[in-house]
Order: sequence, then C-alpha cells, then structure tokens
Amino acid sequence: MSYVEIEVRAKTVDLAVEAAMQELGVDDREELAVTVVQEPERGFLGMGGTDAIVQVKRSKPRKRQRDRGKKGGDGSQNKGSRNRSGNGGRSRSSGKGRQNKGKSAEGRTSKGRDMSKRPDKKEDDRDDISIDKQTEIVKDFLGGLVDVYGLEGEVVTKVEDDVIIADIKGEQTEALIGVRGSVRSAIHELTRTVVQRYASDTARIRLDIAGYAERRREALTIYANQLIEQLMEDGGELMLEPMSSADRKVIHDAAAANEHVTSYSEGDPPKRYVVLARTDKPDGDEEE
Amino acid sequence: MAKADIVERVVDYIVKSIVEEPEEVSVTIVEQGPDDVVAEVRTAKSDMGRVIGRRGRVAKAIRAAAGAAGEEVGISVGVEFID
Repeated sequence: MSYVEIEVRAKTVDLAVEAAMQELGVDDREELAVTVVQEPERGFLGMGGTDAIVQVKRSKPRKRQRDRGKKGGDGSQNKGSRNRSGNGGRSRSSGKGRQNKGKSAEGRTSKGRDMSKRPDKKEDDRDDISIDKQTEIVKDFLGGLVDVYGLEGEVVTKVEDDVIIADIKGEQTEALIGVRGSVRSAIHELTRTVVQRYASDTARIRLDIAGYAERRREALTIYANQLIEQLMEDGGELMLEPMSSADRKVIHDAAAANEHVTSYSEGDPPKRYVVLARTDKPDGDEEE
Repeated sequence: MAKADIVERVVDYIVKSIVEEPEEVSVTIVEQGPDDVVAEVRTAKSDMGRVIGRRGRVAKAIRAAAGAAGEEVGISVGVEFID
C-alpha cells in the first residue's frame, strides 16, 4: 500500500486540508496525517496575504470499496471543463510530494467513472448519445422544471463548439437564480446529473437564467478592473475569493486587457481562485 | 400545507428525472412549523447514491432547488434523503 503525499495551498489550513481530502478521496480527517508547512497570513478583506500550505498524507489504507460505492451516485461536474488532458493519464499512486495545483477532484471523478462504477448493468447500457440528443434532454428537463415551479418562461438551447448552451428566458425565471447564483448553480448541477443518467459521454453544458450570466460578467469585469487599478497604484498581488471556472475566465479576460497585470489560478475546485499580479513596478515607483 | 405543494412538485420532478426507477420515488412533506417543512425523499436503494451524488453534490443541489421553491411561497424547506 503506497501512501500518497500531497502538498496543498489554500487560504486557511482548514481549507487546504479540505481540498486535500477531496484530492485524496478521503471523507474523514482522521485518516490523514497533516503537516502545516506554512501558516496563512491574513490579507485585507480576503485579498492579499499568504496562503496556508499543508502536506497531507493518508495515515490509513484506502477504503477502496466504500469509495467506489460513493462514486456510483456521481453527480460530477462536466468532464471537459476541468479534466485537463495533461492530468488524465497520471497515475494516482505515483506522486509522492506531488503538487496538486490545477488538479481537480472533478477531473478524477470523470476519469474514474468508466471503471469504478458500481457493477450495475444499467450503468453500462447508457448510450454514447449525440450532443443534439443531449441538448434535447437538457431542454426537456429545464422546460419541465420551469413548469413545476409554476413560472412563465422559455428554454432556448443551442450547441456551439461542442458545448450545450441553455438559456432560461423570462422575467419570472429570476427566481431560479438565487443569492449569488446559488440556485442557478444547483440547477446546472442537476442538469448535468440528468444528462449523465442517459449519456455515457456528457457534453459541457452552459446555463444562463434571465440574463444572469451577462449581468454577472459585467459586474465581475467592473470588480476586476477596480482591483487592477489598485494593482496599478500599489503593485504586488491580490488573491481573489474562490470562483467558478466561468467567473475566473472573466477575471482572466480583464487582466489580459492590461499589459501591466497578469493573472493565474490556484487551488482546486470548488475553492480555485484567481491571483492578480502586477508584472512591473507600480506607477508611483516609476514616476518618482 | 397547500403552500408546500410546489416544494413537493419540484423535488419530485427533480428526483424522478435523475433516477433509474422513477416509479420507486416518493416525496413526503412533513410540517415542522407554520412556515417550515421537510421533504422526505425515498428512492429505490440502487438510486440513492445517484440522488445524493459524490460528496453530496446532487443532494446539495436538490436542497437549493427545493429552497427556491419554498421561497416562492414563503416557507423554509429542508430535504431529507431516507434509505
């Protein structure tokens, strides 16, 4: 039995350990031996500061059986978005002291899916169905959902670059957005789960509700530009709060528009976050 | 509680959309207080894992969706998965 050791970086020790538990597929903290490499230092309003770094090792043998059972009910993120091809073939037991930046729990899930499902023959009966058919499933599910909520709305779907784009339109459907898009995220997750029930190879799905994604993109861009302005004055780095991949992309896009600022992501989903950094000296230093 | 009908309808629809055996799904609304209900979800044994999802992701999503249904009628909603 090999004991994989990983190093994880996050805002707090607890978050780092949590991410490590996800990475290792461990439910119980007791099963881990945790060494704190670096205590975090707080930044201002959750920005700046330094991360906690912990080294985590499994202290007990892996409970394979239990873990597999869990994966049976998998409602994982869509595979394409985060399962980077570079990680796909990497052996899980080989990485002693391996950095896990950029690796995602979701990625592992989809990888494990083909082989570690419960030996249920129905599972194998799922077809490799076309993206158009998957789109139809998405449309049916969301249309039915709007109905059971008793809302007036319309579901529009299309396929672009192998991504299913679903848009729930109608003023009333704002009820399906929730605080900071929490309900929208939930519906997104459920939509993926429904498609996975039928399709063995699930396409990526994007879901917008009542124009929320557009408004969020605008608000995030304004926020990113404020932070970039701050970096232009003060230099240094700013660590943002954890965001979804779609939200992170908006920040990266804003940073890309400014040649003095760079951006990159750290941590594992769902706690993956963007760091904005000044690439040269702040204005003040240059001019004075 | 008639107000909770929407919660039952939404949870029932979502769970039935996810499982292999929709005919085995039942959703029971249990009143906890004047504006407070719990939806008890039962499914075929083989489907429970699917409904809960890895690390409870799907269960969490169902709770959020049920909460939104409750909000429409001003009640708070819990969802319990019973095996």
